[in-house]
Amino acid sequence: MGIKTKTGVYVCHCGSNIAATVDVEDVTTFAARLPHVKTARHYPYMCSDPGQGLIRQDIRDKGLNRIVVAACSPRIHENTFRRTLEEAGLNPYCLEMANIREQCSWVHGDRSGATAKARKTVAAAAARARLLEPLQQKEVPVEPAVLVLGGGIAGIQCALDVAGAGFTVYLVEKEPSIGGRMAQLDKTFPTLDCSACILTPRMVDAAAHPRIELLSYSCLEEVSGYAGNFSVRVRKKARYVDADRCTGCGDCARECRLAGRVPSSFDLGLGRRSAIYRPFPQAVPAHYTIDRQRCLFLTKGRCGDAPPCVQVCSPGAIDFEQRDEVVELKVGAIVVATGCDLFDPSRKPEYGYRDYNNVITAMELERLLSASGPTEGSVVLGEGEDASVPRDIAFIKCVGSRDKSAGSEHCSKVCCMYTAKLAHLLGEKVPGASIRVYYMDVRASGKGYEEFYDRVRREGVRYIRGSPSEIFQRGSRLVVKVEDTLASTPLEDEVDMVVLAVGLEARGDAGRIVDMLRLSRSADGFFLEAHPKLAPVDTAVDGIYLAGACQAPKDIPDTVAQAKAAAASALGLLSAGRIKVGAEVCVVNEETCRGCGYCVQICPYGAVELAFSERYSHETALVNEVLCKGCGACAAACFSGSMQQRSFRDEHILSQVAVLGSKGKGDQV
Amino acid sequence: MDLEKLRAAAGNVLSRDDIGYLIGWGVGSYGFRTAPLFLRDAGEVHRLTFSPLCGSNLAVFLTMEYDVAAPAKGAAAKERIAVMVKGCDSRAVVQQIVERGVDRERLFLVGCPCEGVVDPGKVEKKFPGTVEPVRAGWENGAVVFWTGGQKVTLPGEEVLSAGCLDCSHPNPVLADIMPCEEVKLRRLAAREDVSMFEQKSSADRWLYWKRIFNTCIRCYACRNACPLCYCSDCLLERLSPAWLFRSVNLSENAAFHLARAFHLAGRCVECGACERACPVEVPLMLLNRKLAREVYERYGFQPGLDPDSPPFQAAFRPDDSEEFIL
Amino acid sequence: MEERFEPNIVAFLCNWCSYAGADLAGTSRMQYPPNVHIVRVMCTGRINPLFVVNAFQQGADGVLVSGCHPGECHYREGNYHARRRFTLLRELLVFTGVDRRRFNMSWVSASEGAKWREVVREAVEMAREAGPFEQFRREMIGW
Repeated sequence: MGIKTKTGVYVCHCGSNIAATVDVEDVTTFAARLPHVKTARHYPYMCSDPGQGLIRQDIRDKGLNRIVVAACSPRIHENTFRRTLEEAGLNPYCLEMANIREQCSWVHGDRSGATAKARKTVAAAAARARLLEPLQQKEVPVEPAVLVLGGGIAGIQCALDVAGAGFTVYLVEKEPSIGGRMAQLDKTFPTLDCSACILTPRMVDAAAHPRIELLSYSCLEEVSGYAGNFSVRVRKKARYVDADRCTGCGDCARECRLAGRVPSSFDLGLGRRSAIYRPFPQAVPAHYTIDRQRCLFLTKGRCGDAPPCVQVCSPGAIDFEQRDEVVELKVGAIVVATGCDLFDPSRKPEYGYRDYNNVITAMELERLLSASGPTEGSVVLGEGEDASVPRDIAFIKCVGSRDKSAGSEHCSKVCCMYTAKLAHLLGEKVPGASIRVYYMDVRASGKGYEEFYDRVRREGVRYIRGSPSEIFQRGSRLVVKVEDTLASTPLEDEVDMVVLAVGLEARGDAGRIVDMLRLSRSADGFFLEAHPKLAPVDTAVDGIYLAGACQAPKDIPDTVAQAKAAAASALGLLSAGRIKVGAEVCVVNEETCRGCGYCVQICPYGAVELAFSERYSHETALVNEVLCKGCGACAAACFSGSMQQRSFRDEHILSQVAVLGSKGKGDQV
Repeated sequence: MDLEKLRAAAGNVLSRDDIGYLIGWGVGSYGFRTAPLFLRDAGEVHRLTFSPLCGSNLAVFLTMEYDVAAPAKGAAAKERIAVMVKGCDSRAVVQQIVERGVDRERLFLVGCPCEGVVDPGKVEKKFPGTVEPVRAGWENGAVVFWTGGQKVTLPGEEVLSAGCLDCSHPNPVLADIMPCEEVKLRRLAAREDVSMFEQKSSADRWLYWKRIFNTCIRCYACRNACPLCYCSDCLLERLSPAWLFRSVNLSENAAFHLARAFHLAGRCVECGACERACPVEVPLMLLNRKLAREVYERYGFQPGLDPDSPPFQAAFRPDDSEEFIL
Repeated sequence: MEERFEPNIVAFLCNWCSYAGADLAGTSRMQYPPNVHIVRVMCTGRINPLFVVNAFQQGADGVLVSGCHPGECHYREGNYHARRRFTLLRELLVFTGVDRRRFNMSWVSASEGAKWREVVREAVEMAREAGPFEQFRREMIGW
């Protein structure tokens, strides 16, 4: 170290928080005698303006170049005092905090023991401070574009907000149309708005927006880079339909040899479509897609004498030569809005979902109720002459929610309200129907929710507290076996139809997203936010944000709110234009590095790579300081000590260990 | 073990255009020692030997080559290096490949199936004060020595290195040619040194190691003989930061041995070269084998077998055992 | 009455979980013995096992490493690396005759102030039982 170290030690009383237990005067006198300590002071509140002023004054007057503040936890005031140093013209990383409050005065009642520990803590801090190096935070420019993954209401809303602020958005949707779960719904609770009526205009807005590039029928392939500078590869799957020529007239679908023979996944298999299709009439984009798993021409190589779709398509949009296309995008931020899956009730075989036609899920009922659904809105059981309208209908709630035995412990949040909504709609559709809801709890917290639930009950829907144990068939009817737990009465309730209020769960392919984006998942499988209270939209990865049901089950208003929050977070990053990256990152000594690559293997962020060193004529490790998060795992693995973490170098830690390990009270150091 | 076959094969190797030189064992000039031999000329292969005296692990020289300035990127590829490897030596090469210490493309491995190498301590006791160079060989599972004009046959258990008695890989796991026939796996003795030692009380274990660590003179011969202790600038010898003080005493020696053993955890191929190199008979392999056993039993990993495996010390499994955690 | 032996323990804590947990113990005014001296690192993955050996050389009677629970590492997997390293280091130390009570590891999350107190109490008690560490302590001749 070329310049002589001059350390200042500042011992805080924190009122009586520290001073009542630790003899601050003794610690200050002790600190003044430590090597390289030029000055030591104590003050009632170091973090107060005059307290900080003391430090600033000493830095200027006494030429101090290292500062030790013995006060509270660095997790509380490290940034405060770093700013103090900066204001006095000293590099902020020349600060070391000695935690003598949370980990000393507050936990030790004995004054002499606490004072001795405080001495040692201060001595270790001074030893470490001497070796600290001034560091600079790097700044890198931010790519002014956002990738939004998922074209449900969360993704659409987020894309609109970001694009509205003047930035480019790439909206990636794996299905042929955007719209997501909300497009499948008939009405929304509690206001009973028609879901399509409020969603469709947003879908059209998103597609028409000049700054939103819609990549539908596309999937994420690879993500690299870091906040501000992500490189993304997206595969645009071949639709075998030229999007520029297709007018969406639908002649092809009508003429397709498989017309009405392919189950529609949008309608959950309740309706049928052709091999060339669009998922629903209001789909955006409106052009058609050929189902490559079903199309006779694509699977068998021939379709009669010629594919009828080709023959009838007057613009000539059908193109069997089309291939997948991989596009590379540069974005500054990523919003993950991939939504959720629905619990598969066949995992609860006692409800007979697989066995009985008249046991359906709530989403299936949504499709049946929808005017654009497979039955054009009528709820009918059976087909042809056997067709009948259900009179007795039972809803079962919490199917796949709050159910440890089914492997999903969480509450899915929306089921209580959608059950109330569906019960209401059924009541409208089937006047005189007797509807009961088997429930364990009703959670109706939300604006207008309790009122709506109350209204539905007043309309005659009976709520019976009990969790059915079994559903079985008796004649042509179904029997729900349940105990009414409020009346302590076992029931066998004969009904025509059972609706299972299935829960929401993480997407089956969430693991793929987690791996590509280096995200984490919480125990319930949903993506993990950075902090459950204070950073519910952020993730552990800077520049990647969460919106909607991919983070936790959510209803539409919450989803839209989170989408707007995610958009605001992404916009904050983008509009700053530059991003600061951590300074306490890892660094390689090329001279001693052997290029063994352990660090490359260990780094969870892919921040280390091996690169040929001209100077040493072999490969050595190279840290990308923007990617490095400063965990130091690589440094601990390096046999030759060539990899070091700034501010946590071997010598920094060894200097602390030397003081803290010694038997004495730190005074002989 | 047909020495002439081996020499002929070495001659062929050296005649190849792509081979720069061959590292092998040469006849020694003193007692039971052999010397490493660097040959460029096919006409000199008669100087090569292979016998129970070839205890040094020649893979150690491969990483030294690494320090020689290589041509700048894009320049013509360098010549290949041929090296004679026993089973354990070949495992060391595999581990070096895993750690990118050597480039497989630049190596030509001459595999030498091995029936065990002598423990210098044991033979010194059998033939005290031998100065004249001794010849040795394997015969029907025993070791024969020609010394002072006499042929002496001794059972392997009496003269071979302890590690060789239960050798798990007598034949090379990686070789470009194998001039001689493979040898059969034969476990002369099941080694229970680690578990036996663990039976002792904690105090007795320390008494043992205290004596051993006090004996160590920190000459670093163990480190230099080890093909996997190849840092050009050893962390433990550095002055800043000083992990160890230079003084030779119980504390620094103990820390040295703990650090050395730890650095070899999941890397040591148990060739025993360190122990044979030690002038004061520090049982280095006891520490190495202890960790090797833990790595195998806990994590199912054995180093030096698969060049494509990730290095053990850079890997983990989320369900690793954690029985001692508070 | 003979004075009770007060062991000196060096603890390496990760910033995000255990150090925060220790802070929480303070905020909650939980009382524990002052024998544990803390070195803060960003992640348990940073802790070179040789730091532990060094702490013993310096004269620590016990060493504690504490980090996030498995699966909760702020850096995703640093604690997994640490778990392997310290499992092996402990085996090595015990094999050479170091009392197994001297070296401990724990998972303490940012919300587990009470657990931190218990861990400290336990570690101190264990080191107290093991007695002063003399085995390969560095003899200091003043420096």
